Amino acid sequence: MALDSSTVAVAAQNAAAANPRFGGRFTAAGLRRVAGKLGSLVLTLFLASLLVFFSRFLVPGDPVTFLLRGRKPSPEAIAQVTEQYGLDLPPWQQYLNWLVGAVQGDFGRSLQYRQDVSTVLGERLPVTLMLVVMAGLLIAIVGLSAGIVAALNRGKALDRFTLIGLTMLSAVPSFVGSIVLIAIFAVQLGWFPTFGSGEGFGDMVYHLVLPSIALAIVFVVLVGKVTRSSMVEQLDREHVEVAISRGLKRGTVIRRHVFRNALGPILTVSGILVAGLLVASTIVEAAFGLAGMGSLLVQSVDRLDFPVVQAIVMFVVTAFVVVNAIIDIAEPWIDPRSAAGAAAR
Amino acid sequence: MSLLDISELTLDLPNGTRLLDGISLSVDAGETVGLVGESGSGKSLTARSVLGLTPDGARLGGRVELDGREVIGASAAGILDLRRHAASMIFQDPRAGINPMRTLGDHMTETLRLCEGRSKADATARAAELLASVQLPRPEEHLKQYPHEFSGGMLQRVMIAGALTSSPKLLICDEPTTALDVTTQAEIIRVLIEQRSSRGMGMLFITHDLNLAASICDRVVVMSAGRVEETGDARRVFSAPQGEYTKRLVAATPTIAAATGATGVDVIDVRAVPSIETERSDAEPMLAANGISKTYHLRGKTEVNAVVDASISIARGGALAVVGESGSGKSTLARMIVGLEQADAGDIRIAGRERTEIPRGRAARLAHARSVQMVFQDPYLSLDPRMTAGRSIEDALRLHTKLSTSDARARVLALLEQVGLGEKHAQARPRTLSGGQRQRVAIARALAIDPDVLVMDEATSALDVSVQAQVLDVLAEIRRERGLTVLFISHDLAVVRRVCEETVVMRRGRIVERGRTAALLAAPEHPYTQLLIDSVPRPDWAVDPVADQKSA
Repeated sequence: MALDSSTVAVAAQNAAAANPRFGGRFTAAGLRRVAGKLGSLVLTLFLASLLVFFSRFLVPGDPVTFLLRGRKPSPEAIAQVTEQYGLDLPPWQQYLNWLVGAVQGDFGRSLQYRQDVSTVLGERLPVTLMLVVMAGLLIAIVGLSAGIVAALNRGKALDRFTLIGLTMLSAVPSFVGSIVLIAIFAVQLGWFPTFGSGEGFGDMVYHLVLPSIALAIVFVVLVGKVTRSSMVEQLDREHVEVAISRGLKRGTVIRRHVFRNALGPILTVSGILVAGLLVASTIVEAAFGLAGMGSLLVQSVDRLDFPVVQAIVMFVVTAFVVVNAIIDIAEPWIDPRSAAGAAAR
Repeated sequence: MSLLDISELTLDLPNGTRLLDGISLSVDAGETVGLVGESGSGKSLTARSVLGLTPDGARLGGRVELDGREVIGASAAGILDLRRHAASMIFQDPRAGINPMRTLGDHMTETLRLCEGRSKADATARAAELLASVQLPRPEEHLKQYPHEFSGGMLQRVMIAGALTSSPKLLICDEPTTALDVTTQAEIIRVLIEQRSSRGMGMLFITHDLNLAASICDRVVVMSAGRVEETGDARRVFSAPQGEYTKRLVAATPTIAAATGATGVDVIDVRAVPSIETERSDAEPMLAANGISKTYHLRGKTEVNAVVDASISIARGGALAVVGESGSGKSTLARMIVGLEQADAGDIRIAGRERTEIPRGRAARLAHARSVQMVFQDPYLSLDPRMTAGRSIEDALRLHTKLSTSDARARVLALLEQVGLGEKHAQARPRTLSGGQRQRVAIARALAIDPDVLVMDEATSALDVSVQAQVLDVLAEIRRERGLTVLFISHDLAVVRRVCEETVVMRRGRIVERGRTAALLAAPEHPYTQLLIDSVPRPDWAVDPVADQKSA
């Protein structure tokens, strides 16, 4: 139904005038909104867990055969392994067992390592997290600066140069970027190591410089372009002209009125990037020989190590959903109008 | 020496277009000078050049002297100083002009804190004081509120208070009330006049509304196409215009006062409209809406009674105006009649047929569309930018009739001729047409299939007065020829007076008064109607139309 927006808007303002805290942040309505977001977060995770768990039954190949690889399995051995891993139970019961464990951080035992999945993951996770955090910082710094520089020089040579540069970068897949970076900075110049993730914090950062650049390239382009278009849109707004007419310095106007207002779309895109970063790290880890979660995922899929695959996929899904829920919940702080609903815009 | 002295100001864009051509005007302290003209006349640009707000790369010539200092060619620091201390500006749309993501307190205090270096507490106290001086009820609380919680009128007060933070010597007002309702406009003007006299500021007041300019300005400067057409005492310019352009502009401006010949406004002689005398007869009205209501239920909010038990009827060939302010439910009423919105209660009959339900299915939609067509407010949005004007009309014909291509084309040309356009306009895409031409195309499209009723929702509000006059003339012409039945939604009483025989006044979803337009405007009974009429700006030397009518 198309609401007659002006009528509704006027009514909303009348209500607001009557009650000054209408649409405020710390109201019952605000709490309901946060509760709703959290509810949909839990629901999303639940549906994802169903998908992740039962997709195993669609994949060809029997984990038992893998577990007993290299031997000629006797029926007793098969029966023993089947029982040990709980594979004789009906699927829904297997799911329940898995879910109860997963909620407590226990994703079962890895078939290839014969260790707890949490232990296997625990060894790999720091590398991947570090890689993603470093890439994230790079994306924020380079992407935002490129976008801001382009927007402030809109239509001029610098803007066009930045845009062309970004477009060219966006055509570089991360595995190509990885190889080029290794060839130049690691092999020819010898500034960075070609392989491995190093020992200790400082060494790790040093080892991860090239990988994080390779990972960041494509996402820098995305953030840069969104920043530019969002800033350009705000630059044309009348409130920016008002701010200028009041004698504020250009830098102040850009910071307080243009960039501040352009933040919404930038954050939304950044939230969506999280999943992309985690997934793309697989390729970069492979290229740089990093023992991270990405390479573990590839290896586990290959060897039908389904508990590990399930754990990693659930981790990626959870990271993505949680980051986006945080951005959603923070929205009223970014744009106070969103709490009051679209009608009052 | 004058506070503001502009002489021979020219402005050229980098591509060579000359937007301002030899503008000269001056404003003294305590004086209000009106800058009047239609869109594109350069009035806003002239005012903005005073604060150095000119487009990138524009070349300026001549002199602009503000408070004894030259603006053109001033250093960046000099311009900042002028903006901070000499002059400030109020913009047209307060909703666009105040950052929606920051609190009003931030808007009010940011220049005090960042430019004057005042402490937060000091700035907040000053801001509250200023908000109180523009008569906002709870200054301290307002400072914590956001713009979306305010109505347009309240926001415009904030904008005024914000412009006064720097205690400017010159206040530039760029159409400060155009986006507001007429009663709100009256309040804002009162606030402005109050502040001007208590501070002894000079005021440069930009408007397209001659009546408004006449009601508050000492002198006016009439601009057209980047040139000054006429300058002089406000009363002299409006009562005895000398330039050709000024004469046309004054003539095109509708007034709420009865046509006494002073302004030369052409009021339609209602008796010339056919079959208007039959409205009291037993014949069924062309449009009859009985007790229709509409309530919007919004989650988490109180429900909105957009229209409550409204009944209207229009005789065949009649024209009914629905007037009211924004939020009065007049557009919702129109949307229900056109079938865009489902009424919760009541029934609507058009030409004797039931039209209450939202049409479902193709046949029902076509039938509904044949009985009622709508012309929307903004012709820039209501025409498809990728279709030629002729094609837009032709599409309507093809949808509803079985005309052959050549017959349809001929009909399109006939329709365009009827609204004063020709074959070359049929080939034009909307962006090459002017606002008035677009609205005429929209009218032609609405008339293409001979609807029983034409609904015009603020159809002339976005147009300049001279263009509005043309469109209203076209409408009058068509009504005279075809006996078209019109439902005319408007907030502008002066326009309503020209177009409609009968008027209903809506307030908060209810019809508060109805009657023949002339009688209603001359002797309003409901206090709200009285308030609406009193709020319409008129020159302070003009006679009160109500008193005039009563004594006559």
